[in-house]
Amino acid sequence: MSLINVDDPHWYQRAVFYEVLVRGFYDGNGDGTGDLKGLTEKLDYIEWLGVDCLWLLPFYQSPLRDGGYDISDFFTVLPEYGDLGDAVHLVEEAHRRGIRIIADLVMNHTSESHPWFQESRQSRTNPKADWYVWDDTDHRWPEARIIFVDSEKSNWTWDATREQYYWHRFFSHQPDLNFDNEEVQRMMFDVIKFWLDIGLDGFRLDAVPYLYERDGTSGENLPESHEYLKRLRKEVDSQFSNKVLLAEANQWPADVVDYFGDGDECHMCFHFPLMPRMFMAIRREQRMPVTEILAQTPEIPAGCQWGIFLRNHDELTLEMVTDEERDYMYAEYAKDPRMRRNIGIGRRLATLVENDRRVAELLHAMLFSMPGSPVLYYGDEIAMGDNIYLGDRDGVRTPMQWSPDRNAGFSRADFAQLYLPPLMDPVHGYQAVNVEADMRDQSSLLHWMRRMLEVRKQHSLFGTGTFEVLPVDNPSVLAYARRQGDDVVLCVNNLSRFAQPAELPLQRFEGRAPIELLGRVPFPRIGELPYFITLGAYAFYWFQLVR
Amino acid sequence: MSLEDLLPGYLGRQRWFAGDEPSKVVVVEQDEVAEGLQWMVVDADGALYQLVVGTRPAHEPPHFVTGHTTGILGEDGGLLFYDAVLDPSLALALLAMVAPDAQATHVRPMGVEQTNSSLVYDDRLVLKLFRRLRPGPNPDVEVTRALGDAGFENVAVPSALWRSGDLDLAVVQPFLAGGAEGWALALTSLRDFYGGDSVDPASRGGDFAAEASRLGHMTADMHIALAQAFGAQPGDGRAWAAMAERQLARLEPEDADAAAARAFIDRLRQVADLGASIRVHGDFHLAQVVRTDTGWFVLDFEGEPARPLEERRAPSSPLKDVGGMLRSFHYASQVALMEQDEPRRPEMAPRADRWERRNREAFLSGYLRRPGIRDLLPRGQSSLTTVLAAFELDKAVYEVLYERDHRPDWLPIPRSAIGRLLGGSG
Repeated sequence: MSLINVDDPHWYQRAVFYEVLVRGFYDGNGDGTGDLKGLTEKLDYIEWLGVDCLWLLPFYQSPLRDGGYDISDFFTVLPEYGDLGDAVHLVEEAHRRGIRIIADLVMNHTSESHPWFQESRQSRTNPKADWYVWDDTDHRWPEARIIFVDSEKSNWTWDATREQYYWHRFFSHQPDLNFDNEEVQRMMFDVIKFWLDIGLDGFRLDAVPYLYERDGTSGENLPESHEYLKRLRKEVDSQFSNKVLLAEANQWPADVVDYFGDGDECHMCFHFPLMPRMFMAIRREQRMPVTEILAQTPEIPAGCQWGIFLRNHDELTLEMVTDEERDYMYAEYAKDPRMRRNIGIGRRLATLVENDRRVAELLHAMLFSMPGSPVLYYGDEIAMGDNIYLGDRDGVRTPMQWSPDRNAGFSRADFAQLYLPPLMDPVHGYQAVNVEADMRDQSSLLHWMRRMLEVRKQHSLFGTGTFEVLPVDNPSVLAYARRQGDDVVLCVNNLSRFAQPAELPLQRFEGRAPIELLGRVPFPRIGELPYFITLGAYAFYWFQLVR
Repeated sequence: MSLEDLLPGYLGRQRWFAGDEPSKVVVVEQDEVAEGLQWMVVDADGALYQLVVGTRPAHEPPHFVTGHTTGILGEDGGLLFYDAVLDPSLALALLAMVAPDAQATHVRPMGVEQTNSSLVYDDRLVLKLFRRLRPGPNPDVEVTRALGDAGFENVAVPSALWRSGDLDLAVVQPFLAGGAEGWALALTSLRDFYGGDSVDPASRGGDFAAEASRLGHMTADMHIALAQAFGAQPGDGRAWAAMAERQLARLEPEDADAAAARAFIDRLRQVADLGASIRVHGDFHLAQVVRTDTGWFVLDFEGEPARPLEERRAPSSPLKDVGGMLRSFHYASQVALMEQDEPRRPEMAPRADRWERRNREAFLSGYLRRPGIRDLLPRGQSSLTTVLAAFELDKAVYEVLYERDHRPDWLPIPRSAIGRLLGGSG
């Protein structure tokens, strides 16, 4: 019996997630595009790495004008990725290895080529006329901000067929569904049931703050949207068990917590502002950017969890920082204007940290030990780079680099047939950076990452323990204690590129002995005095405090 | 040797004691306030100091004294005498006495301080033991409470006070958990800057200007609240100048051009548009401010420890504090420069100047942009510049006098500032 069948409704609180772009992971049929079959072939790798749950970017039928977030049929797999049978096989094979799978689901909008929209635009009276948001003018809801400021001028676009404007919070080719329509509400339940029935373990719900529109509001975080999500959760709970709903709400923590409801809405939400603050703290060599945002993060209901990440398929999102911080981040991390996308920075982790292995490790050590379930982005475990000359956000969506062979070992297709060229620059290109080389090299980032995940798994406190920042005089040192019952792990991070001393106030743990978790090396017992340690440049320690 | 004989040597070793070993120390009051805890007020060459002394058998010295020399008074009659703040159990006894309602299980000393000794309990409470005692309300307690009442949120308002007669002895305040001292943050920024390859502080990741600007905001808010709590009168250039001149008289010829300094201060008398005179912080610098997760906090309203209490409570221009902080940016840039290897320093010196200038400007613009602060300041730009420069000079003179007694190595820092200010005046 596989692990996956163990009844554990809160598995996501202790899980490590791995975000996969099906298109970019592995090409199973040699047509130049990654597919479900290819992903299934690489499950052994995912298992070896120690990942608990895959998060698949959208794999539904789509014209792919927005990386698949423009869905044109919710019930069909994009033919380039395979078919429903491939999806079922992937889920079975993953479950057999104890790996769960969640998938992206876009509820807010569809592609304009979706038959629903094609029908809706035909007239004002057809059966789906009310499935989208139409109006005679483009003046309504001026309070709603434009999200893709680089490409869109308005949230309204004129449709010449119906001779009305339709509403879209994202690209103009992505009309918003009308959630005031009960048929739309029911249809979305059906979509979710369909995929849970074949075995998916949950969804990452894209763009949930925007489901409804109301006069005089920004159209974000409306009570109606929460109400719908609660009904959705109820439906899921009534028919399935051990599923997870992970909300993408790029909002301030105080607003995001509303998506947990009273533990009766989404199981998980992404913590967006933490990520840029982690980068900022490293650049400033002091902890305040991180501790400040954690101090502003409210408690979450029991059974809920944050999703935390360093990088993902989108740009490094800077919506949730102040203008001053945004200027700072641009100045620090996007020296070339092409690196900026919308309101963020389109870089991968390795390039953001200028290929500094120590910083990459430190950031991951923080990610794995801070409150929340870590979400890795494919390729970051081998320090893949990016190609800022590719359009939109494709720069961070290049093929996974498996080996130094042709096409990075990603595909046997002709080079020209690849959906995107693999990286070939001398520093981050697949000749230098690939899974095969990293597997052989025991000191590689990949092996380090695997070891960290292994250690993390030994202590459930990393998922569900309390979190407390310790007062340390040295501003470059960020120290915190994770605790669950009698298990205590102390994490100490040096954010500076210089060696630093720190006096840790550990008196309350007097008599316990710190044991460094990666090497199990015992450190001197904690006494009545502040505990003095030194940290090398960008060093970190995880100490279990043993009685 | 009796305990009394040990006192002069002990006092001479303390950072919080002004000057070298006193010639005469008289115990004014003494009481065993808890078992093994002697509380004393002593008169050292005419100044009152508070001591808390722990006693243990000398043949089994407690482990917490290991490595300490400063805090050990010595031995007498088979007993070891030591500063009780080193002893966790006595430190807890002290808290129980000062704030009987407070519960705590763990305690640690806060680190070296200039004028007081502070203990942190459970990372929640701070007990600040005043060392130099003066009759009348302790300015820190007085001001912190008034600011709290005025709705200023960036201070730790006392929750308990320990008094004896008209002497304030100790105060208990909330601990600013997770905070980092402005001084440490500034040095972090400077080390990043000196350790990099850019000559422009704005281009460095560790740039401090945004923090300096926020510090300016907080400083303005503090002054507005001080004016509200203690009132504001028209500025008195004569009084300000007279006070500065008393201090100038103590300079040595090698410190500064005395005539030029007097002329510089005298300009205060000629400015008609002085702004307001208010209760001020009095000793405002980067080590008196703490950046917490909710912003900058101010500590220690005791004023400059080497000045008489009356002078420290005397109203002054808010620009006195502004000048103090500007001096502190200079200090930080120079102290971090002194950390660098000697051969590197000439190359780094222009960076020190750029860092200082950038953060001065950021602090000042943050301060001046705060609504309401202009009402307390000279209206004209030239008056503002003159008054501010006079207070910067006054602070630099204070620093020279202080460093001569405490840190002669740092004397060149304020001296160079005086030279720069006087040179700039033509």
